[in-house]
Amino acid sequence: MYLPIALGLAALGVAIGLGMIGNGAMNGMSRQPEAIGKMQTAMLIAMAFVELVFLLTVFVGAGAFKGS
Amino acid sequence: MDITSQLSTFLAAGGGEEGHKVTVNFIGTMVYFGLVLAVVFGLLSVARKGFRPGVFQGRLANWSEQLYLFIENLCVSIIGSHGRKYVPFIITFWLIIFISNLVALFFPTSPTALLSFNLGMAIISIFYVQWEGIKQNGFIGHFSHFAGPKLGGALVLISVMLFFIELVSETMKMVSLSLRLYGNIHGGHEAVHGMNQITSAFPMGELLIPVKMLTVVVQALIFCLLTCVYISLVTHEPHDEHHGEAHAH
Repeated sequence: MYLPIALGLAALGVAIGLGMIGNGAMNGMSRQPEAIGKMQTAMLIAMAFVELVFLLTVFVGAGAFKGS
Repeated sequence: MDITSQLSTFLAAGGGEEGHKVTVNFIGTMVYFGLVLAVVFGLLSVARKGFRPGVFQGRLANWSEQLYLFIENLCVSIIGSHGRKYVPFIITFWLIIFISNLVALFFPTSPTALLSFNLGMAIISIFYVQWEGIKQNGFIGHFSHFAGPKLGGALVLISVMLFFIELVSETMKMVSLSLRLYGNIHGGHEAVHGMNQITSAFPMGELLIPVKMLTVVVQALIFCLLTCVYISLVTHEPHDEHHGEAHAH
């Protein structure tokens, strides 16, 4: 019964992380528009790593949670 | 129940334990993959007619040229000047993942919505990276790179520890590549199913298609991007260019 709350907390943390990455990238892009290409690449890589945490939570953590 | 057995039963079920469960067997996967291959080869064989010396003719030929330039730019900007060699490898991944994700928009399942298919692609990607690293640095050189910087005396224990940690992280690269793609595409299916439960009067899940179209492009891009990053970690620029730089300074 705690699973939805746990998943919500995980989503909250990942949303904060993604928002901070987007915030940083937007700031950098507006400061240096000529570096947009490089920043997008780095931003996408960072976003992929943050997103992976949530996917691991959902597919590994939730499965283990249900079994216990 | 411990985590590993739970995970194995979870993966064998092909996703969530309740809700709608679209599982296909090996033949079904191959049917979907055949569909993807048919689309790829069909498009490219039409585009190929426009490849003539001088100017490329035909809309598909122009589109495929743009795709080639996009992937080439990706490879050269991440791997370096020798990255042009890896364009065919990366562009194959891009086409397969992109078309599979497009299939996932309109069909109940697709090759990239299956964990085993993604794991296969991730294994190909990571083993190719190892192969390139061994080819460039030598067998001993490539694996001694895992042990970090050279340490003397009793600190050698740290190198041994680092070596095994790096081995685990190389293995986890496969898991992360495959799980990311699987989670995004399969999660899209689950979200559509969840929204369809709201009312039976209107298929609310179809409203998610714009969001899923974003996922289609981004996931194909990220798989190729990470493969490029892994290749760039193990390879280095050809030697003659280093000499040129040294002379210039």
